[in-house]
Amino acid sequence: MESLFLQQVVNGLIVGSVYSLIAVGLTMIFGVMRISNFAHGDFSMVGAYIAVFLLAWVPGWMGWVGSLLAAAAGVGLLGILVERGVFRPLLTRWTDLDQIMVSIGLFILMENLAQLFFGATPRTLSDPFGGVTVNMGLVSTSAMRLLCFAMAMVIIIVLEVYLNRARMGVAIQATAQNRTAAQLMGININLIYAVTFALGSALAGLGGVLYGTLFAIYPTMGAIPTLKAFVVTILGGMGNIRGAIFSGFILGVAETLGGTYISMEYKHAIGFVIIILVLLIIPNGLFGRSEK
Amino acid sequence: MTGGSKKLLWAFGAALALALPWLISDRYIQHLLVTSLIFVIFASSWNLLTGYAGQFNLGHAAFFGIGAYASALLALKLGVPPWIGLFLGGLLAAAAGFLLGIPSLRLSGPYLAITTIGFAEILRLVAMNWVQLTRGSLGLYGIPPLPGFWGLEFTSELTFYYVALAGAALALFCFRRLTRSEFGLSLQALREDEPGAESIGVDTNRFKLTVFTISAFFGGFSGALLAHYQRLISPDLLSLHETFQALTMTIIGGLGTLTGPVVGAVLLTFLSEGLRFVEDAVKIDVRLIIYGALLIVTILFMRGGIVGLWERLSAGRGRDQEEG
Amino acid sequence: MRLLQTQKVTKYFGGLCALKEVSFNLEQGEVMGLIGPNGAGKTTLINIISGAFHPSQGKVVYHGRDISRLKAHQINVLGIARTFQVVRIFKRLTVLENVLTAMVDRSKEGPWKLVWGSFFKRVCAFKQDPEACATAEGLLASVGLLRYRDEQAENLPYAMAKRLEIARALATRPKLLLLDEPSSGLNPAEQNEQIKIIRQINEQGVTILIIEHVMKVIMDISHRLIVLHYGEKIAEGTPKEVYSDPLVVEAYLGGEAHA
Ligand SMILES: Nc1ncnc2c1ncn2[C@@H]1O[C@H](COP(=O)(O)OP(=O)(O)OP(=O)(O)O)[C@@H](O)[C@H]1O
Ligand SMILES: [Mg+2]
Repeated sequence: MESLFLQQVVNGLIVGSVYSLIAVGLTMIFGVMRISNFAHGDFSMVGAYIAVFLLAWVPGWMGWVGSLLAAAAGVGLLGILVERGVFRPLLTRWTDLDQIMVSIGLFILMENLAQLFFGATPRTLSDPFGGVTVNMGLVSTSAMRLLCFAMAMVIIIVLEVYLNRARMGVAIQATAQNRTAAQLMGININLIYAVTFALGSALAGLGGVLYGTLFAIYPTMGAIPTLKAFVVTILGGMGNIRGAIFSGFILGVAETLGGTYISMEYKHAIGFVIIILVLLIIPNGLFGRSEK
Repeated sequence: MTGGSKKLLWAFGAALALALPWLISDRYIQHLLVTSLIFVIFASSWNLLTGYAGQFNLGHAAFFGIGAYASALLALKLGVPPWIGLFLGGLLAAAAGFLLGIPSLRLSGPYLAITTIGFAEILRLVAMNWVQLTRGSLGLYGIPPLPGFWGLEFTSELTFYYVALAGAALALFCFRRLTRSEFGLSLQALREDEPGAESIGVDTNRFKLTVFTISAFFGGFSGALLAHYQRLISPDLLSLHETFQALTMTIIGGLGTLTGPVVGAVLLTFLSEGLRFVEDAVKIDVRLIIYGALLIVTILFMRGGIVGLWERLSAGRGRDQEEG
Repeated sequence: MRLLQTQKVTKYFGGLCALKEVSFNLEQGEVMGLIGPNGAGKTTLINIISGAFHPSQGKVVYHGRDISRLKAHQINVLGIARTFQVVRIFKRLTVLENVLTAMVDRSKEGPWKLVWGSFFKRVCAFKQDPEACATAEGLLASVGLLRYRDEQAENLPYAMAKRLEIARALATRPKLLLLDEPSSGLNPAEQNEQIKIIRQINEQGVTILIIEHVMKVIMDISHRLIVLHYGEKIAEGTPKEVYSDPLVVEAYLGGEAHA
């Protein structure tokens, strides 16, 4: 009984770490640019497919590490292109509605292009450990899932350090806090936007690779990480990076526990129920919004 | 355009709409006509809520699904006549619309978008998992057709076309009346600026609940029509993709205009037909790729969609003539 | 006759005290100027009277009735209309539609009544109602906007947008009009025009509470002035009295003179 509970908490934390990673990208983009990108999960999908193809080409460890690097670089680059081509032209004249709808267009386009290029068959990523499980007293998990968790944590920590130490990271945070003040301080706002969008997309891509170690990969998978990331982002307060990190874990654990003790069928509804309640009671999310 | 030529155009349009299924004997195309008419209603109802009142609802598929399931289940389990079911389905959806309106009193933008998606997704999961009632992902089949009268049957594409046409005409008549009245102007005020609308006495909360309810009624009505036409429905009706379909049609046609969703629904339904040969060759849904691309292009370069473009062009021509 | 009275109105935003026990009376038919340095709480006061905010403490009494808990739209129906410091016109409606929307009688007609009216009124399409249009055109003419009748409001020059906001407020047939900096951002010629318009409105019997930074405008049209400084009322009286009050000179005019 107790071990089942602990086991589910561990599983929840592992899934949650991936949710956090993907949601941090989304919340960063929102915090700096006020873009709610409904195609965010499709960037994860692209990242996952990059891993699929790289691992097919170079199996094992090399391929795995290469996948992460390639996904970050490839999806980051895609992010730059998308920001330039789709979001930048709207930046000065859009309403919330225009902006969300353009991202929905992107969502529809990307998932169907993926069908065209990658085919509809679901794929999985091969396990570099060959299915070894790790026993830790009451709980056990596969080495691959553990690695996934560790990687997510490492990336999140690196990101935290970058945002708080590196000059560019600090500038990004300053812009998120107050766009006009940042501009007055001589920060090149267009550069910040490009970097933020690229970084946020790269995080989605990395999250996608890790997501692919846990779940199946298929062209229309992007909707799920998009929705989870939005739930997490709203829960953490849109634009609030630490809030997103914590909320990712909260959602992951709530889902696995809910799936075990309440109902497996309604697992995916749990996040929505939580945010509908939270929004109706505390509209700014659990950790407040980053904006003034 | 002068009043006379406008009337003529209307008469021509009506005659064409009535004669269309006789001009085209291909049953598949007749089927597309019916589908596009149902989507005219569905997309227009979304347009009333989002295009006119500015309430960003991404859970509109919930109303579509509620209408379809309610009418189908009422007929299957309780033997309620489908003609009545169409309206009961709408009414049930309207009740759900009122409920979904409540969060809109406090939320907007992405927050409202996610809440409404959540609402539809929760309902979709219910439809998937309440197997005793809905047969889960198998869906409901054997839904009775609309009963015939006066020797008419409503089981073929050809005859159902007229039912759908009447439904669409009724819905569009209502939307036209609603949007041009004091009610419609108040909705647009609400969309443009909430504090501004409050300052001239618009009770924005009550207007939001009202427009959610009305929009949901027509959304549910269109879903019920679909149920008695296809006679087979599945939880997919409640999925995000149905909402996106309405959204794409409306935006490409022209958000916040009466004709926009009509143009969009008909155009996109037949675009897919035009692409059928391509799809047969590559075996995938090219249609959706084009939807996505068109949606992006419309928002970036063609504000107001096709109707907006048309209006700009004809206004330009009018001006040229005046100057010339 | 007393039209409106604020009684020790206090407003906190978190820890910040934006208004502190502000009390004053508005007499029917007068033009009251409301001045004070930036951030003094002028807009906040108008927001409270118009129901956009509720006071933290104190009351707003209108026609002998406490209105401080009512919502903005209810207060408008009682006869108080306002404009905004940053214009809030309905951008994607035409100029005429902006005014028509405000003319809808909302005292008894909730949304469902209007829905009913969409189908069963004599003239369902409001824009084609000749009486309503004539009234709206009259209002537009009175602020000099008639030639922009069918223009999209978003295309109006700034000065015209400000006037449209006044016309829209008037369309609700107010007894009290709250104007938040109606001539800020206008050039001197436009300011003169604005003074004329405001004076005309007052001559038709509408009581006016006006916030204004432009000295000339406020001296010209207000019968009395009150001065806010850090949320407190520091002076009240005729323009002459107020401008010779040493407290005001120090708090407000002094600052202005240096600036
Ligand atoms: N909604 C709000 N939330 C928090 N603080 C507010 C809010 N509105 C106003 N304030 C604060 O209350 C104080 C008074 O603001 P207010 O807008 O009333 O000043 P004002 O006299 O109209 O100034 P100005 O001449 O610049 O328009 C300011 O310090 C402002 O920052
Ligand atoms: Mg102010």
